[in-house]
Amino acid sequence: MDGYFWIILVVGLVSTLLCLGAGILKKAPNDVTLLSVVAVEAALVVYLVGSIVRVIAGEHIAGEAWEFWGYMATAMLLPPAAIYWSILERTRWSNFVLAAVGVTALVMAARMNQIWY
Amino acid sequence: MKNQQAQAATGKTPVRNTRNTGPGRLLIAVYGVFAISATARAGYQILTKFSEAPLAYLLSAFAAVVYIVATISLAKAGTTWFKVSVAAVLVELVGVLVVGTLSILDSVQFPHETVWSLFGRGYGFIPLLLPILGLVWLYRRRPSKVAAAPGNAAE
Repeated sequence: MDGYFWIILVVGLVSTLLCLGAGILKKAPNDVTLLSVVAVEAALVVYLVGSIVRVIAGEHIAGEAWEFWGYMATAMLLPPAAIYWSILERTRWSNFVLAAVGVTALVMAARMNQIWY
Repeated sequence: MKNQQAQAATGKTPVRNTRNTGPGRLLIAVYGVFAISATARAGYQILTKFSEAPLAYLLSAFAAVVYIVATISLAKAGTTWFKVSVAAVLVELVGVLVVGTLSILDSVQFPHETVWSLFGRGYGFIPLLLPILGLVWLYRRRPSKVAAAPGNAAE
């Protein structure tokens, strides 16, 4: 597990806990929960840029390269999709949808790490 | 529009024949993630190593289709889509129970991981939990209840 994974782990867990907490407190999605999901997307962007730089620098992905980039692309689609959906229906349940993003991103980042090394 | 949906979720106004609001949104989101990941995984397994375990990988593909159908049908309104949802979620429940049991009893025929192997252990047992929550949600939002008592149907 490399630094990118740990960044996504921390950001993802914090985001999930914030969104879960807001959902349990029966709050609708607010700036805090939405921005925490934006932060997950930002962490993924960091991982994306870092990975591109490493490939250009000549580093070799141990597993299937297209599988790695497939995971990356899918993971990066989740935060925008969840935010869009939570804005359409601003109930506490949308916070649980947002909460799912952080955990999913961290599981996918773990898988991406396995593929890379 | 948004207010109507929010009120529908709390049961203050007549509930429409839908399952894509309130807790249903979380359910659809999780089903969606499983639809994507199961499809990607099955596609990868079948394209790269199908001959190693054809049965397991065909089951993977079947599971992926079930998740896709469940996701779409839960998001749609109307009684027909409700029936499709019930069918998909029941198939999913039977699938995870049968494959889960077989993967324990007959590890020769089911040596390779599928979403439903060992009751979905590789996915935090969410595959086992999802159909149960799905059935509870479908029952609470069943069309007959919505039609019979529009004023106090939800929650």
